[in-house]
Amino acid sequence: MIINFLGKLKTFFLFVLFVLTGVYLEKIGFFDYITDPYEYPYILRLLKQHIVMVAVSMFLATITGVVVGIILTRPKFSKYSGIVMYIVGLGQTIPSLAVLALSLSVLGIGFKPAVFALYIYSVLPIARNTLAGILSVPPEIKDAAKGTGFSNMRILFEIEIPYSMSVIITGFRVALVINIGTVALGYLIGAGGLGELIFTGISLMDTKMLLAGAIPTTLLALFGDFLCELASFILVPKGLRTSSKTN
Amino acid sequence: MKNLMKAFLVTAMLCVFISAPAMAAKKVVVGGKNYTEQYILAEMAKQLLEDAGFKVESKTGVGSVVARKSLVNGQIDLYYEYTGTAYTVFYKKKDTEIMTNPDKCYNWVKEADAKKGLVWLEPLNFNNTYTLMMRKEDAKSKNIKTISDLAKYIKENPGEINFGIDSEFYQRPDGFKKLMKTYDFRVGRNDIKLMSIGLTYMALKEKEVSSAMGFSTDGRISSFGFVNLVDNKNFFPVYNPAPVVRKEVLEKYPEIRDVLKPLTEKLTTKEIQKLNALVDIEHKDIKEAVSDWLKANNLI
Amino acid sequence: MNKLLEYILENYNNIISLTWEHIFIVSIAMVFAVIIGVPAGIFITRYEVFAKKVINTANIFMTIPSIALFGIMLPLLSPFNLGLGKVPAIIALVLYSQLPIIRNTYVAIKNVDPAIVDAAKGTGLSRWRLLKEIEAPLAIPVIIAGVRTASVMSIGITAIAAYIGAGGLGVLIDQGINRYYTEMVVTGAIMVSILAIFVDAFMAALERISTPKGVILGRKLEK
Repeated sequence: MIINFLGKLKTFFLFVLFVLTGVYLEKIGFFDYITDPYEYPYILRLLKQHIVMVAVSMFLATITGVVVGIILTRPKFSKYSGIVMYIVGLGQTIPSLAVLALSLSVLGIGFKPAVFALYIYSVLPIARNTLAGILSVPPEIKDAAKGTGFSNMRILFEIEIPYSMSVIITGFRVALVINIGTVALGYLIGAGGLGELIFTGISLMDTKMLLAGAIPTTLLALFGDFLCELASFILVPKGLRTSSKTN
Repeated sequence: MKNLMKAFLVTAMLCVFISAPAMAAKKVVVGGKNYTEQYILAEMAKQLLEDAGFKVESKTGVGSVVARKSLVNGQIDLYYEYTGTAYTVFYKKKDTEIMTNPDKCYNWVKEADAKKGLVWLEPLNFNNTYTLMMRKEDAKSKNIKTISDLAKYIKENPGEINFGIDSEFYQRPDGFKKLMKTYDFRVGRNDIKLMSIGLTYMALKEKEVSSAMGFSTDGRISSFGFVNLVDNKNFFPVYNPAPVVRKEVLEKYPEIRDVLKPLTEKLTTKEIQKLNALVDIEHKDIKEAVSDWLKANNLI
Repeated sequence: MNKLLEYILENYNNIISLTWEHIFIVSIAMVFAVIIGVPAGIFITRYEVFAKKVINTANIFMTIPSIALFGIMLPLLSPFNLGLGKVPAIIALVLYSQLPIIRNTYVAIKNVDPAIVDAAKGTGLSRWRLLKEIEAPLAIPVIIAGVRTASVMSIGITAIAAYIGAGGLGVLIDQGINRYYTEMVVTGAIMVSILAIFVDAFMAALERISTPKGVILGRKLEK
């Protein structure tokens, strides 16, 4: 009974919060700002830049990450997996701003250096999860498959990959969320994106501009996260589906 | 237990003795914006005040609006503001007769701010105005010397010229949007790249943009081979920097006025350009560059 | 390379003081994060009802990009003159750290073998003693792992906080970019990275030390 009440209280509270936020945004001219015909195409353009940077870097990172992860599980290369994963682990510890800054000092300013930095930064979670996922396939299943005459290729594509899908998608999801946030920092090395609105808003103390950047970035990250949930639902074979909420 | 009490009392007394001098010291918080010249000016104020026995805390590296708000809110006690900026940005005034005249502009903002409890001390003698820059060879080949020339070129060659400007400059009433109006040209929003202050020089140098906004006393203009386009319509106001202090702080420590006064005579346009170049091109440490300069000029 | 070493030697003092500032911010945030997160984690193991919701909320905070969170807090805290500086940075860090800490605390306590818990209850241990003598020692390594994740993440986010006036090593990166001073940027980037790697290794060692010997033995036997 108390639980029911608390649940309803929470919903009510969220609703009030939502309405208050709307009123606040209206008061500071947020909605006027984003629908202003001079500003509106500019905001959309920054959003597009942002999405392009995310898409390009994630695409390259996924291909590289999955391939590297798979290669490291092949018997020929498995002795390197320890070292590679150690370096990979190290790389993950390096803060995103640092990677962007280093990219700037080597490659200069603009879109390409930013995408390069993002690419490097996003490969790591994907590679690590691919490796872990494939290694976690129970050897008995692989044995059974070999026994029934599966070629190594078939084992990879029909058993190992589907089995590790859930873990790989989690890696992708982690990389994606961090990627979207890091793209916002890309403004600092001249790459544009929604970060332009956020940082300019901070320096001018212009709240509506700041929120015009911060809110879409947040929504983008939440949306990306949600899409990964969906993808997980579609791509992970039914038999292996586990609740990934506490992952 | 008794021993514990003794130890505690001794420690407490020691703490009081140690902090007593600190509590009695004169303390000032100096603010500053986020570009080299501002860091230099803030550092000058800091060293001069420290030499006069003050304890100084710096809170620098913010945008104009934030610096101003911090002063009004009392989070900082003093910072160097430019007359033109105060006139056009904080007071949103546009009288060209006042804003292009150094004395008139200074007196106007001094009077206006006095009503808000902010005191403008002696101004410095250089004008750090915004400028639109282009690469020397580029300007030459396109035959562009003034901003009107640029406007004409843009009208005849739409889409060819793009700009790299600082986000603050874009939005300010003395900024880019207004500039386009005054000089009667229009560039698509896509041809205006916003970036943080220092990057505009880099973007122009790396040929990412055809024209960039800069500060006229910046050391990089000559060393990167840029040229300032002439402001033939006198769009930009005069920007003389002066220390702006909160009234209460000045009343408490009236000596601040005299401590900072010598800079008016000694810090000329040439000197500030040299200092800017020293820091930006030769990468000299700001503290060192400032202290060397102050010592050489017998100010500390 | 020479120029880099030159820069570091000339600005040694500044670099060290910024590093301390950085460490200070992260430390304060971690203390608060643990004070809030661990009890919260324990709470939801007792009252399962809230587990999913609490973890989901924490998850949402962690999905929000850090600079966006700083941005959103700016207007919220400006009326109190706290929009910029260390305070919003520390608040954001505490929020971000909740997910790893709460989740790890929850999972750690939940994973204590129910058989052991039963046996302990059977010998008459009270709830409090159960927590103190059985669940805690077994859960602590996992909780430390959560704090480790949170710490490393916080070091990175603090670098970004330099842009809202919090100080720290991000200042080197920010000023370095504005002044076109590559050596400064690289120094900032490298120092933050070293700090992160060092803290990660240090906490990994803490994890190892805090694992009860019996558990280590058990793992070895399993293999």
